Amino acid sequence: MLKIDNLHATVAGNPILKGLSLSINAGEIHAIMGPNGAGKSTLSYVLGGRPGYEVTDGSALFEGEDLLALEPHQRAARGLFLGFQYPVEIPGVSYLQFLREALNAQRTARGEEPLSGGAFIKHARVQADALGLDIEMLKRPVNVGFSGGEKKRAEMVQMGIIDPKLAILDETDSGLDIDALRHVGDGINRIMRKPDKAVLLITHYQRLLDYVRPDFVHVLADGRIVRSGGPELALELEREGYGAMAA
Amino acid sequence: MTQALALPSTRDEDWRWSNLSALPALAEQAPQGGPVDVDGLWLGCGGPRLLFVDGAYVPAASMPGPILVGPVDARTDHPLGRLATGEGWTLTLGFEHAAPGTIEILHVSTGGANHLPARIALGEGAQASIVESFAGEGWANRLTRIDLAPEARLMRAIRLVQRGGFVSLRDEAAINAGASLVTTLLGAGGADSRIDVLASLDGVGAFAEYGGALLANGTQRHDAAVVLRHAQPGGTSRQLWRAVADEQAAVSLAARVEVVRDAQRTDAEQSLRGLLLKRSATVNLKPELEIYADDVKAAHGATVGELDAQALFYLASRGLPPEQARALLTRAFVSDALMRIGDEQVRDALLAEAGAWLGGTA
Repeated sequence: MLKIDNLHATVAGNPILKGLSLSINAGEIHAIMGPNGAGKSTLSYVLGGRPGYEVTDGSALFEGEDLLALEPHQRAARGLFLGFQYPVEIPGVSYLQFLREALNAQRTARGEEPLSGGAFIKHARVQADALGLDIEMLKRPVNVGFSGGEKKRAEMVQMGIIDPKLAILDETDSGLDIDALRHVGDGINRIMRKPDKAVLLITHYQRLLDYVRPDFVHVLADGRIVRSGGPELALELEREGYGAMAA
Repeated sequence: MTQALALPSTRDEDWRWSNLSALPALAEQAPQGGPVDVDGLWLGCGGPRLLFVDGAYVPAASMPGPILVGPVDARTDHPLGRLATGEGWTLTLGFEHAAPGTIEILHVSTGGANHLPARIALGEGAQASIVESFAGEGWANRLTRIDLAPEARLMRAIRLVQRGGFVSLRDEAAINAGASLVTTLLGAGGADSRIDVLASLDGVGAFAEYGGALLANGTQRHDAAVVLRHAQPGGTSRQLWRAVADEQAAVSLAARVEVVRDAQRTDAEQSLRGLLLKRSATVNLKPELEIYADDVKAAHGATVGELDAQALFYLASRGLPPEQARALLTRAFVSDALMRIGDEQVRDALLAEAGAWLGGTA
């Protein structure tokens, strides 16, 4: 589904990714772990197409298509979802209005019929209920006045509503208490653990992996993957720290 | 009948951002006249309605209710307002009278220049809601004299949706004890504009609010100069303006609060925000406080910026194309100014018009 080969990227002229390669097949959940500054968030932004993140070498193919040649909204319409470490607050824009416009823009780009207001609300309510988020919150401006945990739950509600093929989730577990962590973990499993979907979890800690069991774990250090393995690798990291691993 | 038109110069501080250069030619032109199609221009509030075409009243298309058309008792020294003499409209409401529904006044111009005075005089405890719309093209010049007796309430919305030309508005208001004047303006057409206001809070505990959204593209100019004068204690004033400028357009806002020595316990707030959709556009903001009393709460903020790049990327990452994302954020930027409109139908109509101007889907 996603094939990254020898990816190099710079931010403000500083090289951050230095030859990263990774393949993710449909039906797989991958976790990328690594110390601060290893390039984890840069990887997610490069794949999402954020301005200011410049690819200097290498490639990324999404279902055989050159992902890096697409605009961010086109990547979304192809089925890529980026879960933000720090979801952005947008005063004055209602969450539901934004999500309906976004979903319908994606559907239109794919040649599908836009969803009516009623059908959309029904769909949104099911997803919000499943994540334990009051639908009333989604009538408020996007993320304004949300606690850290509510923002992350709302990201998962968005993922449920949009129903992507590939989700790249950047530190979705940060700032979550135990209950919220369980909700978010359940959400990822329910929405994304399917034979035709895949997930790339970017995380600092093992604890989310107790709820979402990865098929593969990779260690990112200094802009490249230095080690890959099964779920046991996350436990080893938790025990021994990144220092030993990157050395 | 045309006399030499004496217009203020940009050397005058109050007019430094104005461009009145189109006015002399418009003043010489005759309106095109002919039938005008106004069906789509009414908001359909269900209350009284008046149509003026090129400043002339059209009784056949009007249901004036309590409004009288004829000579108007309004005079001013204001350089544009003083041109509006002769016949116009007057709304007088007596003690605790309420106008029957929101009054709609539609001004359609077909070119040239037209000048019209108006007077609104609300008796003690009286209430009215008025929406005025400016459509067509040409120069529409208006003087509105407002007198609010104690506890009277006047809510006004003004829609500038002229395709081209110029709209100049001069309001002069006296607000008595406990009375309230709220005026919200949307500039969403293609015409240039100049909005001049002098509102005086003349009674204890009076309330005045002026604000709105001025949207400009191409080489368009909107220019507002609003003075709210606190002359008695315990008054409250609000100015919440949003300016959006695209391409080579310019929007200028000079908003002044004056508090005289005796106007203690004044509460004045100004929020002026400008949004540049292109770097070639201009927003001028000039918040001014002139305070002679010592027990005063005055808050003011003025900022000019561009759309938030982080928010744009966030919206794009969810599938919104750049134009749609920009329109969504711009609508959000102007919406808090238009949310002040009390009449829901008028509010929704103006929000939709702002949305249409900004592009994208409502």
